[in-house]
Amino acid sequence: MTVVPPLELTHFQAFLLFAVVISVAFGFLGRRRPKDRVKYILWSLFLFLLVGIGVGWAMFPFSR
Amino acid sequence: MDETLQNPANDGTQPAPPGKEAHSSGESRALAFGIAGWLLPGLGHALQMMWGRALIVFFAVGLLVFAGASMKGNVFTRQGTDAFDTLGYIADMGTGSFYLFARAIETSGADVSHADGDYGTRLLATAGVLNLLAALHAYEAARGHKA
Repeated sequence: MTVVPPLELTHFQAFLLFAVVISVAFGFLGRRRPKDRVKYILWSLFLFLLVGIGVGWAMFPFSR
Repeated sequence: MDETLQNPANDGTQPAPPGKEAHSSGESRALAFGIAGWLLPGLGHALQMMWGRALIVFFAVGLLVFAGASMKGNVFTRQGTDAFDTLGYIADMGTGSFYLFARAIETSGADVSHADGDYGTRLLATAGVLNLLAALHAYEAARGHKA
């Protein structure tokens, strides 16, 4: 049996993978026209990153 | 307004209007598309010739399942001990047949003692919920709702 090697990602890489995949899926499911899809994907991705990094920094003072 | 007032000839003895059967058939068809979309991510859209959406759903769910299982995330089973395990199992089952794919990849079991495993668990649950959303979308599209 083929064993898949474990995938090791940093926090940011895992977060980025999640944000990109979900943004693209939502864009395609939620919008019909290609131009609208691209706009939705970019906006959604931007908000994911903004909120994720923002919450990360907000928790920084309490992290130690 | 009352329908009998609009059409006095309709006293309840008339056969059902022909549109009703078609509506029921359309509803069954939509349900079948929804279930197909759950069983194989993207199939609900593919059956409706929505190729772009079908491919995106297939690869998005597939990628999340592959990454989640490769990161040694927890693939929940029926033998959960608490409510969170049950919720996790429901979310994982949302991936349909890809649940078996996740089980096949993760032969050595989960390891959530590291951040990778914890992220993997989340990615697997996300894949399931995303697929359920896509299946619901396919169902609504088949019912003729704007999608």
